Amino acid sequence: MIDAVGAAPARKYHLRLAAARRLPGAEQFGLVLMAVLVGLALLAPLIASDPTVAVAGSFAPPSASHPLGTDDIGQDVFARVLYGMRTSLAAAAIVIAFGVVVGGAIGLVAGARGGIVDALLMRLTDAALALPGPVMAIAIVAALGPSLRNTVVAVALVWWPWYARLVRGEVRALAARPHVDAARLSGVSRRRLLLRHLLPGAVPPVIVAASLDVQILVLTLAGLSFLGLGSPPPAPELGAMAARGVDYLFGYPLVPLAPGIAVFLIAVAANLAGDGVRDLFDAQP
Amino acid sequence: MAGEIVSIVGESGSGKTVLGLSLLGLLGSSAQISGSVIVDGVDMIAADTGMTRRVRRRALGAVFQDPMTSLNPTMRVGRQVAESAGTEREALRLLGAVGIRDPARRLRAYPHELSGGLRQRVMIAIALAGNPKLIVADEPTTALDVTVQAQVLDLFRRIREDVGCAIVLITHDLGVASSVADRICVLYAGRVVELGGSRAVLADPAHPYSASLLTSRITLTADRRVELPTIRGEPPDPRSEEDSCSFAPRCPFAEPVCVERRPLLTQVSWRAGASACHFEAGPRTIGTAVTPTWPPQLKPRGAAILEDVVVRFPASRALFGGTGAFEALSGVTLRVGAGESVALVGESGSGKTTLLRTLAGFVQPTSGRVDTGGSMPQMVFQDAGASLTPWLRVGELLEDRVRALPRAERRERLVHVLRRLGLPEEVLGARPSQLSGGQRQRVALARAVIDPPDLLLCDEPISALDASLAASVLNLLGRLRRELGFAMIFVTHDLAAARLVSDRIVVMTEGRIVEEGPTERVVTAPAHDYTRILLESVPEFVA
Repeated sequence: MIDAVGAAPARKYHLRLAAARRLPGAEQFGLVLMAVLVGLALLAPLIASDPTVAVAGSFAPPSASHPLGTDDIGQDVFARVLYGMRTSLAAAAIVIAFGVVVGGAIGLVAGARGGIVDALLMRLTDAALALPGPVMAIAIVAALGPSLRNTVVAVALVWWPWYARLVRGEVRALAARPHVDAARLSGVSRRRLLLRHLLPGAVPPVIVAASLDVQILVLTLAGLSFLGLGSPPPAPELGAMAARGVDYLFGYPLVPLAPGIAVFLIAVAANLAGDGVRDLFDAQP
Repeated sequence: MAGEIVSIVGESGSGKTVLGLSLLGLLGSSAQISGSVIVDGVDMIAADTGMTRRVRRRALGAVFQDPMTSLNPTMRVGRQVAESAGTEREALRLLGAVGIRDPARRLRAYPHELSGGLRQRVMIAIALAGNPKLIVADEPTTALDVTVQAQVLDLFRRIREDVGCAIVLITHDLGVASSVADRICVLYAGRVVELGGSRAVLADPAHPYSASLLTSRITLTADRRVELPTIRGEPPDPRSEEDSCSFAPRCPFAEPVCVERRPLLTQVSWRAGASACHFEAGPRTIGTAVTPTWPPQLKPRGAAILEDVVVRFPASRALFGGTGAFEALSGVTLRVGAGESVALVGESGSGKTTLLRTLAGFVQPTSGRVDTGGSMPQMVFQDAGASLTPWLRVGELLEDRVRALPRAERRERLVHVLRRLGLPEEVLGARPSQLSGGQRQRVALARAVIDPPDLLLCDEPISALDASLAASVLNLLGRLRRELGFAMIFVTHDLAAARLVSDRIVVMTEGRIVEEGPTERVVTAPAHDYTRILLESVPEFVA
């Protein structure tokens, strides 16, 4: 139609939850499953017992009080899995939040200012991107000692550049649009131009990227924890639990498999939910 | 009918593109379709996809608005034409047939290496491949410059004579329709309201909507002393199922029966053709509709001076040697007096937009002097909708310009400017996407004049609008500049529009001013050849 002359592709800047009902079944399932998993993780202290104390003998079979039985030193596997999920999701959230805030700020400034500022900030970003994530994590943990905090710091340090690039690209594209010229002619301050006329346009793609990142981060962090780069034992971490439980895979399969399945469920749910979020933000056909 | 050009005319949202797509059998599966579309003996709606594909291959050709997106950017045009034509040799012949000079060389070009006009010719060559019986052309000239538009329309006329195929030309521009079509079909809100021979419909419209479209057309002969006639209101949602005439709310002749029953398309009694109106004689008197004269011009102010301005853009760093800097403006001197309205006319690449952006301060001149009198000029953009930040509410956008004022006074200004532009106060809480096209235009204008500027810059504000909306925007601009007294520079490629809004016309090509003078003189007695070519390219209205 004639309206389309020179118009940018439409994108929705406002989510309406009612639209979620029109999503494909798998994505709806992902969103619901994600909500359930996050709910379980948040409510862990109410549902489950202390994950770090022995509540029964070793390898107790599943029962009403211990739905997934106990592990080699008598800790409740169900409680440990719930707390492990809590840790995983929280760690992923911290990495993403750091990426969005730091990467977003750098990307926003680089994209809006352009020129030398853009060049400097983006070379810094490229340099950070060139660092290999797992090796960085191993190096930091080797230097500071194994702990979940150090692992999260290491991952966050290699994660933010993706957000910087994404936001910069979006902001640069937005900055070329007429509404930014119009705002400039309206005499708005530089701060207002950045925060009100440019930044909100970069939010939808960032939310989409963040929601798809949850899955990769949970897997990455669990993997590092599996390699012994997380907190030292009794702390409940899904990766470490799976690693320690592998010895009992054939005798007591629930001990290593339960945390593995939890990681799998989070990954699937986060992936489908991420797709769902992306579809919600995409323009209607 | 074979060898006939039928033009489908309607505003955006009238369903003309949908009609074109259904002719091609390309409506998506999400559409609910009833009825039948018979092309070459096959029902394009009932038939399966294999069948419609065969019909497309055997009997149909298509040309769309934007040739850049219709052509495959990664493939040489020769191969794209050959894909439909069968052989390279046939492709060569077709490119020659659509008037491409040196076709053997162009065969090896990629789409981005061709101009818009050449790309559209390539599209037409593809449409012509395999001797189609029908070509569907959807707004084929809308994205083109006027002189190129004239050539492409000429090409359609020639094809009809040489090849003998039928052409369905979809357009929003009655001028385009009238210059090539044998028959015209006027669409309104998804329904045919008038159908008839081109001359008959244009000279003697039977439906009030066709008549209103005709009178609101921006022509070289419209009366400059009064406002342009417009169609009140805005087009309805074509999905409404009400059993009334969809045009009734906007019709100057509406009577109770119009909202009670939907009129059917029936034979017009006094000439050939059909119309969907309860009344027959009414429309012919619409031509005498009286429009108000312009308000007197008050306290003229503002001025702009450009002295020997040169704008040079550095050449993009090409991989294999750049071509040097590109000079968008080569020594332009222009003075705009207080309260004066100057139309800047030229085609794409003439430097007219660069000149405007230099005045707005977006582009720094390489040399020369630019003076807009200290105050920040305001600008109306080509796409008013895109000039409104999509996630902000209208109130906030308007307020942006008056943030220096105390809160209570801001509110007063907002209310005042909305009233001046005929907008309801509710739009303050709406986001741009929730407004109609006409409202977005008004909001963009409201932002420009909420704190009256000394200089208003208009960058092709009507080139993408339907005739009626375009006329109302010109009316608003004309009224505002007289009431508020600001100077105005109106950039356009359309001499008819330029004539209506300006006191003086400046014609630009290739970064230079080639003619300037009082509006009537430039239009009636152009001094420069280029101005003459532009004038001749305005689609001839044969009524």
